[in-house]
Order: sequence, then C-alpha cells, then structure tokens
Amino acid sequence: MEVLLLLEKGLWAGFAALGFAILFNVPVRTLFAIWCLGAIGGLLKFSFLEFDVNIIIASFIGASAIGVLSIPLAHKIHSPPLIFSIPAVIPMVPGAFAYKMMLGMMKIASHTTESGMDQVLVDTFQFGIKAMLILLVLSVGVAVPMLLTRKESAKRIRIKL
Amino acid sequence: MDNNLGKIADVLLETGALLMAAGANTGRIRVTINRIAHSLGYQVELLITHRALMLSVIDDEGEFYTSKLKRTPPHGVNFKILSGISRMSWSVQDEDWNLDQINAELARLKSLPHYPRYLILLLVALSGASFCRLFGGGWIEMATAFVATFAGLFVRQEAIKKNFNTYICAVMAAITASLISGLAVKFGIGDHPEHAFATSVLFLIPGVPLINSFTDIIDGNISTGIVRGTNGLIIAFCIALGLLAAMVIFNI
Repeated sequence: MEVLLLLEKGLWAGFAALGFAILFNVPVRTLFAIWCLGAIGGLLKFSFLEFDVNIIIASFIGASAIGVLSIPLAHKIHSPPLIFSIPAVIPMVPGAFAYKMMLGMMKIASHTTESGMDQVLVDTFQFGIKAMLILLVLSVGVAVPMLLTRKESAKRIRIKL
Repeated sequence: MDNNLGKIADVLLETGALLMAAGANTGRIRVTINRIAHSLGYQVELLITHRALMLSVIDDEGEFYTSKLKRTPPHGVNFKILSGISRMSWSVQDEDWNLDQINAELARLKSLPHYPRYLILLLVALSGASFCRLFGGGWIEMATAFVATFAGLFVRQEAIKKNFNTYICAVMAAITASLISGLAVKFGIGDHPEHAFATSVLFLIPGVPLINSFTDIIDGNISTGIVRGTNGLIIAFCIALGLLAAMVIFNI
C-alpha cells in the first residue's frame, strides 16, 4: 500500500513537471523525458522522506539524480541538460514552506498582543530557512555533474545510461 | 575590417540578449558567446547584467576592436530558444557556419511558435492539481486546484497581453486563483480545502529566476545572481499579497 502511494506521488510529480515544461515552451521532443525525470526525482524524494530522511537531504538526492540523468538525455535528445533538469526539479521547489513563511510574516505584521508571538517567530524563521536551503540544494543538485567533472560543457561529459 | 567587427558584435549581442531573456544562466551565456566568437576567429570580452549586455570584439592580431552595448528584451522563459541557440553554437563550431547562416537561424528561432494557448492552460492546471495531490489533497481538492490554476493563468496571460507590469500580472493571477480556491475553504468543499488554497498559486512560483540565482552565485556571478534572486523574491511577495487579499476578503 505504501509503495503504491509512493508510485502514485511520483506519477503526479511527473505531471507537475510537465505543466511547467509546457509553460517554459520546451521543444516537443523533450516532453516525455521531462515527465520521466520529474517522476523519478519526485519518487526518490518521497521515498527518502518515507524513511525519515531530512527533507533538505531528500530534495538534494532527488535533484542530483535529475542532474545526473539529464546529461545522457541531453546527448540523446540534443538539447542542453537544463532543458530537462529545471522543469523536472520544479515540483520539489519548497512552495509549502514559502507559503507558510509568508503566512507567518503576515501574522507577525498583524499581531497586536505579545502572547504566542515566540512560537510564530520561530516557525516563520524555520520555514524560511528550510525554503532557502531547499532552493540551494536543488540548484547545487542539478549542477552536480558539471561541478564534479569540472567541464565547461555537458557535451564533454560521458555518462552511460 | 571595422565594419565586419561591428556585424560580429551585433550577432553575438543578439544571441546573448535572446539567451538572457529566455532564462539562461550567466555562465551559459558567456560560454555560448565565447564558443561562437572563437569559431568565427575573434576574441571577446563580456559584461553580462540582467538588463543589458556589453562586449568588445577583438580580431586575432589584437589590432582592431569594437565595443557595443545592447539592452535585453523583456524576460520570458523560453526553452525552445535556449535549446536552439545551444545547437546553433555547436553547428557554428563544427560546421563552420558564417554570419548569414547564424542570422537566418536566429530569425527562425525567434519566429518559433509557443504551444497552443488552451493546451498550456490545461496542462498547467493539471500540474496545479498534481501539486495539490503531492501536498496530500484528494480528488475534490485537486479539482478545486485545477479550476483555480486555470483561471489564474488565464488572467495572467490576459494581463501580460495588456502590457501590465510583470509584478502586477502576478498579483492579479494570485488574487484570481486564491479567490476561487478560497471559496472552497469558505464553504468547506472537500476534506482539506486548505491544501487546494495553498497549491492553487504554485504555478506562479518563479522557479527559473530562483534556480538561476543560486546557479549564478555558485558560479561566481554574484551580482547577476542577486538581481535574479531579488526578482524571484518580489514575485513570491506578489503571490503572498494575492493570498492575503483572498484571506482578508473571505476572513479565513
């Protein structure tokens, strides 16, 4: 049952990536690959979350997998790797944390009494930091193959599928 | 000789400006322009900012040079152009394209159509529904998120067409989407309508500016990274403003 739910979430992560791919006007030939990458990244992230791995590390693993897989896809489909990796990591962008941080900031702005303020402050700060760190690990994760191989272009990197 | 340098500078600036507007990171713009310039037999020095590009083209002997400045067109993520220019830069290097061929290819890339409008609306709405599912919503919440995203994106496209300020477009879209999903919260449609409320505005998240911002900063292009990050942050605030408006109106 758990496995099925995970697989289903991966499926939806793929569709979330696909919507953004269309919004970013990617070439038609890359659409299916982007769906697959989004699904794989989402599946990895949610699987690690299931094992109580920190969400920041889980996001990093998902994004790195997307980054590494985007290189052979780029060779095969003749498009730069970021065409595949950016739409595919968008489902992992910490929308919920950013949303909760904004809610917290509004609470801080509209709060008139002192009571309960400590908790609001701590929560808002925590959500904000999480959102920022996740964004950071997403862009580092996507860039992992380039950073590790120290090549200027993905065309010089050889990763066999 | 001088005339030719001017033409080379124009082509390189056009390429760079298209890349910047389409959502390429700074490192990619620099690498691509250098690749094309070297293949044509010239050296370049580049200054890349968010709204303008400046470059100096120097011929091989270092005897003649030209400097030019170009403003980038309005930004709008377009990966078809990124992909096309990347392929073009390799053709220039490997197949020795000349200036006319590059100009023709740039014109072709600029004229490439976007996806049909209703296909974009449907698939982005589907991705809104997917986000809702990922956050733990059920079928009813997904339907709410679908409708809200569809309406929000529709309003945004119309606002962009009427040439509103980019941030105002985002605010209008966020208000539309959150008013619709807020209705579901107000009247308790579904088990967790607040999931739909939180996810109906996610199609607006500035993913490309934020990811590019960190990519640039890691790469050492800190000034462009900060500009992109600020831009993304303001869009995020616009989304929050839209949500706030809906929360005040519905008192939720």
